[in-house]
Amino acid sequence: MRKLILPVSILAVILALVVLAPVLPLADERAMDIPHRFAGPSMAHWLGQDEFGRDVLTRLIYGARASLSIAIGSALAAALIGTALGLLGGYFRGIVELFTVRAAEIILCLPPLLLALLVVTIFGAGFWPLILALTLLYTPNYARVVYAATLQVRALDFVTAQRALGTHPLKIVLRTMLPNVLPPLVVQISLVIASAIVIESGLSFLGLGVVPPTPSWGLMIRAARGAMEQAPLLLLWPSVALAGTILTFNLLCDRLQSVLDPRAVPAGGAIWLRRRRTTPIAPRIAPDQVERDHAPADLLSVAGLTISLDRPGGIGSGMELVRGVNLGLRTGETLALVGESGSGKTLTSLAVTGLLPDVLKITAGTAAYRRRDGELRDLIAEDEDGHRQLRGDEISMVFQDASAALNPVHRIGEQLTEVILAHRAIGRAAAKREAVALLGRVGIPDAERRARAYPHELSGGQRQRAMIAIAVANRPKLLLADEPTTALDPTIQAQILALIADLKRESPEMGVVFVTHNLAVVAEIADRVCVMYAGQVVEEGPVAKVFARPRHPYTVALIGSVPEGDAERLVAIPGAIPAPGHMPPGCSFAPRCDHAVAACRKAPPPEFWPEPDRRTRCLRFEEVT
Amino acid sequence: MTGTPLVEADRLSRNFPMRTGLFGRHRDVWAVRDVSLAVQKGETVGVVGESGCGKSTLGRMVLGLESPSAGAIRFEGRDLSSVAGAERRRLARRMQMVFQDPFGSLDPRRSVGAQIADGLRVHRIVAAGEVDAEVARLIDVVGLQKNAAGRRPHEFSGGQRQRIAVARALATRPDFIVADEPVSALDVSIQAQVVNLLADLRRDLGLTMLFIAHDLHVVRHLSTRAVVMYLGRIVEEGPSEKVFGAPAHPYTRALLAATPSISARKVDEEAVLAGELPSPANPPSGCAFRTRCPLASDECAAAVPDLAPYESGWKVRCIKSGPSQRRGDL
Repeated sequence: MRKLILPVSILAVILALVVLAPVLPLADERAMDIPHRFAGPSMAHWLGQDEFGRDVLTRLIYGARASLSIAIGSALAAALIGTALGLLGGYFRGIVELFTVRAAEIILCLPPLLLALLVVTIFGAGFWPLILALTLLYTPNYARVVYAATLQVRALDFVTAQRALGTHPLKIVLRTMLPNVLPPLVVQISLVIASAIVIESGLSFLGLGVVPPTPSWGLMIRAARGAMEQAPLLLLWPSVALAGTILTFNLLCDRLQSVLDPRAVPAGGAIWLRRRRTTPIAPRIAPDQVERDHAPADLLSVAGLTISLDRPGGIGSGMELVRGVNLGLRTGETLALVGESGSGKTLTSLAVTGLLPDVLKITAGTAAYRRRDGELRDLIAEDEDGHRQLRGDEISMVFQDASAALNPVHRIGEQLTEVILAHRAIGRAAAKREAVALLGRVGIPDAERRARAYPHELSGGQRQRAMIAIAVANRPKLLLADEPTTALDPTIQAQILALIADLKRESPEMGVVFVTHNLAVVAEIADRVCVMYAGQVVEEGPVAKVFARPRHPYTVALIGSVPEGDAERLVAIPGAIPAPGHMPPGCSFAPRCDHAVAACRKAPPPEFWPEPDRRTRCLRFEEVT
Repeated sequence: MTGTPLVEADRLSRNFPMRTGLFGRHRDVWAVRDVSLAVQKGETVGVVGESGCGKSTLGRMVLGLESPSAGAIRFEGRDLSSVAGAERRRLARRMQMVFQDPFGSLDPRRSVGAQIADGLRVHRIVAAGEVDAEVARLIDVVGLQKNAAGRRPHEFSGGQRQRIAVARALATRPDFIVADEPVSALDVSIQAQVVNLLADLRRDLGLTMLFIAHDLHVVRHLSTRAVVMYLGRIVEEGPSEKVFGAPAHPYTRALLAATPSISARKVDEEAVLAGELPSPANPPSGCAFRTRCPLASDECAAAVPDLAPYESGWKVRCIKSGPSQRRGDL
């Protein structure tokens, strides 16, 4: 709401001036004073006097009356009619659409000025014909905008839900559709008011609008143009008024739109525009980190990784989304990161590749990674250049949504070739041959021909295969797969899992971090599993052991909530994951845990090692599991 | 199967005409073909299949949200296409829907209470003065906090939103609910909450349900009868336990084999189905599954097999139906 203060107060001042003009101590807007024509600004006439010696300030304010009421009046009238036409046409389609939206579109075929001239010629110049002309002119704009928005909204489930409810169609249009097409409508109103002010001025300038001696901004500009040589200031005032008012309306509508939208849209930033990190992060070790000698992780060892929201001055800045995550990956191992949404599993994997969104910052931790040449590098301290060298070469990623991750305007083969060329010194022809071979390798039939296909020409399963081909193109040491099968159908998921297993057999060196929320997938493909909850690793261990005997109540509940077996009721964990800003002081699972005691709520539990290769973050793991 | 079924689909088909290019050939794309299904009162029928098999279109047609190209839907023996206008809307009270996407199925601009109250007001379920109390009761039934009514959907998590959607569907006191993938967008632990909620409601309110999902485990858990669809047609239909226990159609077997399980099992990589769903615009001749079927032979291409009775209450659309040597171990 604070955003609205500025435009609303400017507008209020303008409107107050206009409405209160008759009672303000202003000169008579028609009183001529020929001897003082073209007089400059003075104490009596702040903005000077025009070609008949009339007070410019008065005429500016009275001119606003004509200009603004015509513009706002016609914009609102057109909005009303156009919205009705667009809503009805968009919701009912068919014959209704023909008589509403399509009919209104005929007007769009006529040049706007010609249409306005036509109306003015028929009805004569003046206030009302001008409003009629502008309303006619702008109705189809609204109709089209609202129609397009209606088509979008009508396909949404909540509209279908209203229909399923048996609500009367007109009620659906008014109560459900209208509020949801408002944002584009509001923008349209701002554009139309601005453009109507301009057209009104233009018509008045041509002598077809407001009839003199009634002042309007258009008339003032017209008159001032004739005297431009003698008194250039006369041209300035109405132009400034015009531009200022239009800008104010645009600002108001922009702000209104962001206020009307219940979901705040976070601002994004391009990765190449990112500020380079100036101060390297000290490899601070998280306070509750335990010695990790038990599981020597030779490929990747993440310690004390903490990721916070970084929006200086913004809401929730400094909030920790990932808290002190330790995990290790050995050469040739598949580690599953499993957790629910908001558990931080994806952020952890993004942090390793340096692909965290701009609003997030790594505030602590290290990620020691051993490169192909044996050099040990801290991936957290790496800058964008360093990451770029590693990404797509030694470290590569597979994402959930292949259609978003592949470039839609480049052919699959080209994208694959690019990746190969970016990291290896071979010829383009050789890279192309290898790309085709890779596509065949990941099971895309007729690879030679499919290499020339665009991503949208492939099916979902094939796109995923193509993305995997890109990921393994340079034989990475570390493959991070973020929910690679979640969007796929069961039979296709099985194919992709089999493919990943296959690729691993082929390059036994490759370590895989597999991010998923599906426990069953973990059971099928991973060697070790890391269970994450609310930004922490709560349990880690070999898959078979963890599933056979979980040592954290959360893991127990998670396994119990899978509808397999014959249990009459599933284990449902009550409540939801605590929001990052509202972490309980103790164990973050305590509020939902059946076994929580006072000690659990007091301080966050450290990591315990029930067996040399397992850890859990539960105080009571001995008793409850 | 006795008496008139609550809902009955009779040789239902839905076709989406498609034109390729500006002057391209006109083609019929059949989303649903020749589906007959009877749902008895109190029964929960699960519909499974992969995307593009027509299960969602079937659900929407059953509710009358989409009109079938051929065939009829009968609710308590009345043909839905014969009722229109106000009477049709009155009938809508008795059938409700829960959608897959809890973020899209609620109007972002109206309070949760107002949306739950819609059904109450439209059908005058309670007197105007009691609407608020009834909304509060419904919110309690689905296990949300009392202050939920005044808040807007974006303040809730996915699981909570799905509860709101369930509360909205329950507001009209329906007899029949179509749940289209109601848990597939939810997290595992939240999924369990909603599955339990649906199970409780079914028991307490005697709801009849058509439960559409692609997750075999969830369908098996909730439904008494299961329907497996492939490329618009029912390929197997029968008691849940039998269909998932010893599937008779090779596609059902493949689906079971492809579904990962948390219990240790031997992953048979040979059982992974090759290929992908054929395009519905250009389906194979004969049995639609033959292009991926391990048992397919020349006869399969000849004609579309009938949905033939296999055992009592169990029908299979396969000329080679029968238990296989590889039993699904769900």
